[in-house]
Amino acid sequence: MSTIALPHQERGASFWRLVELVGCYVLGLLWIMPLLYAVWMAIHPPEYEVRFDLFAPLTLDNFIAAWSAAPFARYFFNTFVLISVILVAQFVICTLAAYAFARYEFKGKTVIFMLILLQLMVMPEVLLVENYRTMVRLGLVDTVLAMGLPYMASAFGIFLLRQAFLTVPKELDDAARVEGAGSVGVLLRVYVPLARPVYVAYGLVSVSYHWNNLLWPLVITNSVSTRPLTVGLQVFASPDQGVQWSIISAAALMTSAPLLIAFLLFQRQFVQSFMRAGIK
Amino acid sequence: MSYMSTLRAFAVSGALMMPGAAWAQQVEINFYYPVAIGGPVTQIVEDLISRFEAENPDVKVNPIYSGTYSETISKALAAFRAGQPPELAVMLSVDMYTLVDEGAVAPIERFVETDEDRAWLEGFMPVFMSNSQTADQTWGVPFQRGTTVFFWNKNMFEEAGLDPDVGPQNWEEVVEFAGKLTKRDASGNATTWGMQVPSSLTSYWLLQGYVAQNEGKLFELSGDQTYFDSPEVVEALEYWVSLAHEHKVMKPGVIEWATNPKDFFEGKAAMITTTSGNLTNVKNNAPFPFGVQILPEHKKRGAPTSGGNIFIFEGVDAEKQEAAFRFTKWLTSAEQSAEWSIKTGYIAPREDAWETAAMKTYVEEFPEALVPREQIPFMVPELSTYENQRVARVIDDAIEASLTATKTPAQALADAQAEAERILRNYRN
Repeated sequence: MSTIALPHQERGASFWRLVELVGCYVLGLLWIMPLLYAVWMAIHPPEYEVRFDLFAPLTLDNFIAAWSAAPFARYFFNTFVLISVILVAQFVICTLAAYAFARYEFKGKTVIFMLILLQLMVMPEVLLVENYRTMVRLGLVDTVLAMGLPYMASAFGIFLLRQAFLTVPKELDDAARVEGAGSVGVLLRVYVPLARPVYVAYGLVSVSYHWNNLLWPLVITNSVSTRPLTVGLQVFASPDQGVQWSIISAAALMTSAPLLIAFLLFQRQFVQSFMRAGIK
Repeated sequence: MSYMSTLRAFAVSGALMMPGAAWAQQVEINFYYPVAIGGPVTQIVEDLISRFEAENPDVKVNPIYSGTYSETISKALAAFRAGQPPELAVMLSVDMYTLVDEGAVAPIERFVETDEDRAWLEGFMPVFMSNSQTADQTWGVPFQRGTTVFFWNKNMFEEAGLDPDVGPQNWEEVVEFAGKLTKRDASGNATTWGMQVPSSLTSYWLLQGYVAQNEGKLFELSGDQTYFDSPEVVEALEYWVSLAHEHKVMKPGVIEWATNPKDFFEGKAAMITTTSGNLTNVKNNAPFPFGVQILPEHKKRGAPTSGGNIFIFEGVDAEKQEAAFRFTKWLTSAEQSAEWSIKTGYIAPREDAWETAAMKTYVEEFPEALVPREQIPFMVPELSTYENQRVARVIDDAIEASLTATKTPAQALADAQAEAERILRNYRN
């Protein structure tokens, strides 16, 4: 390809370029392998799970079986509501908190910020019982809000946005104030637009985390009308009997499809955001 | 709704009432159940419940799917500690000590009043009750119980010159048969293993079979003492490990539960042990004639029980507990017990369930279903102690270390015993 057409004297450079290219393809292939394998298993009858045959009969039965094993349409809706509620709340709460930590001086600022960072060290599972108790007191058991509430004041989000806001030049802040913008105006017109890549990156991390979260939603909810997709997927984990890989693959593809498609569509924006935000 | 009943609703349930739960003349109870097998379990459960409700219009049962067994106990205990337990839940029989220790479950005897109740309770087979009783009381009602059984591929037996209708009867025969059944390609890599015993997750359960056959035991029924380093246990584990390392007839390293039946279907394993819950799975998916039998013997026959019991929770009012008891009794009586067994593959834990017409027709059509029952006289209760999950983990790790040859069985088991001792010491008076 283009590497071959390079001038003679740059052979050394073109060789390394080729190595790099091959390396990229190998790594890319390794990364996509499990996904391809899942697709293979999902569209073939169970007999072909471990036998590779190019002309194996194609089938959609696995998807049909998976879809009818649990009320997935409702679960999709619930998951969608759940991640939307969490994301909006996280953006609002984290933005305001980060703004305060980045630009205001107040008593105990460092201590409070340390306390928030401490939250990063605590696994949410440890708080299962205490969170449950809180939800009982609030009367929120078996609601979408109960699934989202413990995650809304995200320490990670506050930390990330604070760091982003700190990099905003003070001069821009001052200039906006000279133009007559108030605190909220400055936040919305200067800080938020400049931190856009961070929002996109954080949003993606948050959405994919909550899309995949199982234990807390399973524990705090009881009914089909509130439970998310992961609970539906769990029906297929049947440890006593061995796993039906083809149906599991179909179900897993089905439930992760919206995320995958969204990622492919907005790939460029995501990658750029991650580069700018500096998180992986 | 009358003034009095509104008042009563508040007095009884107060803040514990679930939002939106209607208070009528009906008693509403929540039933957590895990799904540990394939198939439309959710539909089977809902179908059973709707029939119970038709017969008992004053009770409304909410079936709540609660993930795997371990997620179910997490969910139930979190709810219990938060003051809002379910009325009843299906959890592992071996978690009894944990639940009793928490004060989370009610003794079944409290609800047994009539002669009919007593007859029902006495109808369970004793081996399933030994994991359900402690301190002279019954805490769990046997519901979805199983054991391990032995499968073999009849075609491969014929190819190896063995009688396809007779499986190996003792430890030596297993080694001998497996040697003949193991196939290798030109470079010496096995294409078919003679024998596969799963060793991921609850591998102590398989070890327990070997230990019982070796006339040993893993633990004391009081739940506060283990015997991991006793000679019988060490010998049992050494035999298991020797299949892979000495005789080279079993895939070395850890064998996954989930893929073990698959390996059998694909012809990568000629003989396997797995749970009796796999009977229907094997029957539907094995593309060859297969044989099934109880586990081979050594000094004697032996196999562990497994599976879930129904527990009734404390922390809910007596009226609801009473309704939960009625539902439990209905669900585990002869007819329903037989139906549940036929539809799922679990062993019906009552003698009278096997006498029902439905069950008799079923075993006529599918005689293999009788195999798990044949094993009942030789069964021992599954490992169950205080802090069961931690203790089980300790012995599982020892088995894994032995199978992957990072420790000798004797060393691994001595370490495991020391660790179990440290955990259980606090529970002895």
